[in-house]
Amino acid sequence: MSLLTVEGAVAGYGAAEEILKGTAIRVEAGEIVTVIGPNGAGKSTLLKAVAGLLPLKAGRIVFEGEDVTRGDALARARNGLAFVPQERNVFGTLSVDENLVTSAFLWPADARKRADALYDKYPMLAEKRRQLARTLSGGQRQILAMAMGLMTSPRIMLLDEPTAGLSPSAADALFDAIVTLNREGMPILMVEQHAVEALEVSHRGYVVVSGRTEAEGEGRGLAADPEIRRLFLGG
Amino acid sequence: MLSAILQALLNGLMTGALIAIPAIGFSAIFAVLRYPSFAIAGYITIGAFAGWTLNVSFGLSMEVALVGAALVAALAAVATEQTIISRLRPSGALTAAIGSIAMNLVLENIVRFFYGNDLRGYDVPLVPDVRFWGLRVGMQQIETLIISIIVMAGVFLFLTRTRFGRAMRAVADNADLARLKGIDPRKVSFVAVALGGALAGLGGVLLGADTSIDPLTGFRILLTVFAAAVLGGLGSIPGAVVGALSIGIAEELSLLVLPATYRGAVGFVAILVILTFRPRGLLGERAL
Ligand SMILES: Nc1ncnc2c1ncn2[C@@H]1O[C@H](COP(=O)(O)OP(=O)(O)OP(=O)(O)O)[C@@H](O)[C@H]1O
Ligand SMILES: [Mg+2]
Repeated sequence: MSLLTVEGAVAGYGAAEEILKGTAIRVEAGEIVTVIGPNGAGKSTLLKAVAGLLPLKAGRIVFEGEDVTRGDALARARNGLAFVPQERNVFGTLSVDENLVTSAFLWPADARKRADALYDKYPMLAEKRRQLARTLSGGQRQILAMAMGLMTSPRIMLLDEPTAGLSPSAADALFDAIVTLNREGMPILMVEQHAVEALEVSHRGYVVVSGRTEAEGEGRGLAADPEIRRLFLGG
Repeated sequence: MLSAILQALLNGLMTGALIAIPAIGFSAIFAVLRYPSFAIAGYITIGAFAGWTLNVSFGLSMEVALVGAALVAALAAVATEQTIISRLRPSGALTAAIGSIAMNLVLENIVRFFYGNDLRGYDVPLVPDVRFWGLRVGMQQIETLIISIIVMAGVFLFLTRTRFGRAMRAVADNADLARLKGIDPRKVSFVAVALGGALAGLGGVLLGADTSIDPLTGFRILLTVFAAAVLGGLGSIPGAVVGALSIGIAEELSLLVLPATYRGAVGFVAILVILTFRPRGLLGERAL
C-alpha cells in the first residue's frame, strides 16, 4: 500500500476549463518524489488539491489507506499532510517564534517543545526568533516555512517550489535540508523548477503536462532522459 | 495662546484615548473578517445602555458597569454576526458593510424601544477638575485615560501572549495559510467579533461617563472611530491607537480656529486626505 495515492484527479478554478485532467501520482513511505512540468501545467494546482485547498471534481486521494478526498485543508492538516505553498508561506507580521508556535495551533500542549526542537535543528531560526518573519531573506524564509510545516507533526510534506527565487547557494542549502529531513524518515512530495537538481535527490519523479501525468520514472533516470531534458530541462 | 494649545493637546489626548477603544474593536473585526463593520456604532450604544442600566438602575459600581457592558455588547456583536452578517459576507465586503449599516439601525431601534429617546447620565460623582501649569483636566477624563491604557495593555497581551490572540493575527495576515496550520477562520472570526463588540461596549460606557447617552450615542461617534481606523491603517491595531490620538488632537486643535460645529468635519477631512495621499494609512500593511 502506498503512503499517498492520487488517482484520476480532476479539479480547476470555477467555471473555466479544468486544470487537472486526470492526474495520477503516488508517494511510497520514505520517498522524495518530485513533480516537474512546464509553466501552467497544473503542478501547484495538484499540490493545492492534495492539501485540501481545492476540491476534486473527480478522482480520489488516499493517504495511509484512508480516503481523504472529501476533507478540506483543516482536515488535511489534522490527517498529517503539511503543505508549504510557494509564496506567502510565512506570517510576515508575526515573529519567527510566533510563526512556529502558531503553526502548532492544533497541538497547544507541546507547541513550545516542538519549536525548541526545531531551533536545535535549524539554529538560524533560533538566532532570528524575535524578528518579524518578513525581515528574513528568501532562503531563511523557506527554512521557516518548512519548519512551520514540521510544527504540525506531519507524516508527509508537500513543498511547492521550495527553491524558487533563491540564489544557487541558498537553493543548494535548501535541497540539503530537504534531503536531511527525508533521511530522518519524512516522505516528501515536491514541485520544482530546478528540475535536474530536484530529480537528482529524488527517488522518483513525474512529468505533468496540461494536467495529465505524462511520464514517471526513477529520479536520476528521468533527469538523464534525453527527451525529458529536451522538453523541460533546457538541455 | 501657548496654554490654549497645550490645553487642546491635553483634551485631544483624552478624547483620543476614549476613541481608541472602539477603534481597536473596529480594526480587530476588519483585520479578521475583511469588512468595515459600521454596526460597531450599535455595539457602542448597546454597551452604553447596558452600563447605564447596571450603574443607575441597579446602582452598581462603574467597574461592574464596564464589565457588564463589555459582555452584553460582545453578545450583541456575536449575535449580529452569526445571524445576519455571516450570510452576507460571501457576497463581498461591500454587501457586509451595507448590512452592518442596516444592523446598526436595528440595534439602535431596539435600544430606543426599551429606553426611549431621552438623554441619560451615568451616576458618577462630581469632582472638581485637576489644575496644573494653568491647564485643567476632569477626573473623569483621567479615569478614562487610565482605563484605556489598561484595556490597550490587555488587548496587546491577548494578541501576543495567547493562542487565540496569535491565531487572530495569523488569520489577519494570511487566512489561507492559517487554515493550512489547522486554524479554523470561523472560530477566530467569532473571537474577533466578540473582542470588537466588547471594546465597543467599553467605549460606550466611557462615553456615557464623560457626557450623557441616547440611542444615537454610537452613531454620533462612528465617523470619528472610522476615521481613526482608516488614518492608522485599516486592520492595524497599533494604527487604530495612533489614528485615534491623531484625530482626537486634530479635533481639539481645530476648535482653536473653527467654530465647534465644524469639529465633526475633522474626521471627514482626515479620511479624504489619508485616502488620497496614503491609502494604507499611517501604520497599515496593505491598501484599502
Ligand atoms: N487561483 C486561481 N484562479 C484561477 N486560475 C488559476 C488560479 N491559480 C492558477 N490558475 C491557473 O491554473 C493553471 C495552472 O496553474 P498552476 O499554478 O497549477 O501551474 P504550475 O504548473 O504550478 O505553473 P508554474 O510552473 O508557473 O508554477 C494556470 O493556467 C493558471 O493560470
Ligand atoms: Mg506553481
